[in-house]
Amino acid sequence: MSNHDETAENRLRKELPEEVPAAEASEAVDGAAEEQAPRLTGRQRLAKGLWPPRVTRAQLIVALLLFGLGFGLAVQVASNSDGDSALRGARQEDLVRILDELDDRTQRLEDEKQGLEKQRDELENSSNQAEEARRQTVEKERQLGILAGTVAAQGPGITMTIEDTKGTVEADMLLDAIQELRAAGAEAIQVNGVRVVADTYLTDSGNSVSVDGNKINAPVRFKVIGKPQDLEPALNIPGGVVQTLEKEQATVTIERSDKIVVDALRAAKRPDYARSSSQ
Amino acid sequence: MIAVLGLVVGVVAGLLVRPEVPAVVEPYLPIAVVAALDAVFGGLRAMLDGIFDDKVFVVSFLSNVVVAALIVFLGDKLGVGAQLSTGVVVVLGIRIFSNAAAIRRHVFRA
Repeated sequence: MSNHDETAENRLRKELPEEVPAAEASEAVDGAAEEQAPRLTGRQRLAKGLWPPRVTRAQLIVALLLFGLGFGLAVQVASNSDGDSALRGARQEDLVRILDELDDRTQRLEDEKQGLEKQRDELENSSNQAEEARRQTVEKERQLGILAGTVAAQGPGITMTIEDTKGTVEADMLLDAIQELRAAGAEAIQVNGVRVVADTYLTDSGNSVSVDGNKINAPVRFKVIGKPQDLEPALNIPGGVVQTLEKEQATVTIERSDKIVVDALRAAKRPDYARSSSQ
Repeated sequence: MIAVLGLVVGVVAGLLVRPEVPAVVEPYLPIAVVAALDAVFGGLRAMLDGIFDDKVFVVSFLSNVVVAALIVFLGDKLGVGAQLSTGVVVVLGIRIFSNAAAIRRHVFRA
């Protein structure tokens, strides 16, 4: 096992050939085991040690130690080949290094996660804002649609009916009525199925009146959405619309209602020249 | 024969029982196993040389294991555990090889 063994072996090897004749002689004499042992070759000794099995103290002790060795070997191999416990055999500094690497990695992933979350929040915010803007746009469109007459409207208001049997009502009187209603806060007006909007015009045509080119037959019926408490007095003021019409022999009836439906529509018209200057 | 049986029984027992290696012993077990292997090869060679002595074998086996474990322990304490255990394995490996060569000469005469 060491240098000492090496020299012993060398000596043995050199001496062996010379000893052979003497050993043979002694074997021939009595064949004592003590004398016999050194003459045997290694192979013979191995075979002899293996078979037949002898229960000697040496064999038992060696067996015990080899049992320990085999046991340790198997345990080590088994614990090493466990896939999940690859870190079990690692040394402290390796473990520290691995831990550091994992910490770094965790940090990086954490940063990345925060960045992505921020991005997601921004996207959500912007989509919320876009949604809000869209909603406001729709709302605005409805409001403007009521003004432009492209959508129907309903709400509290009044109905004014002008009975004009003698055909004395003229366009300017109706225009006065419309102006008065607008001044009193009317939000949507229709006259006998014609929506009154910003560019509505009234003309006299023979005995009757045309609104936007549509001839209106008596009785003239205004449907107005607005605050009834404002609209009715505005028409009834002395020297106002109602009195002027009654002077012309027309009968005017005004009734308030909680629900006036203005459902006459007007096609949206694209202006030829005017363009929105705000984007 | 009994000795070979002991080795086989040990391996089988180790595989079957699969005991949990205590954390204290864990770093020393592989080195101890290699040291014991060295002792076993040395013993085998001594047997082939005809100079095998069970007392020497027991002492060398145990001292090999203890010294190897001690070196690793010391290396861990000094902070050079990895290098020192590599060194121990190299030395023991060289000895195992030289012993194996001697055994081979005996068994195969080559």
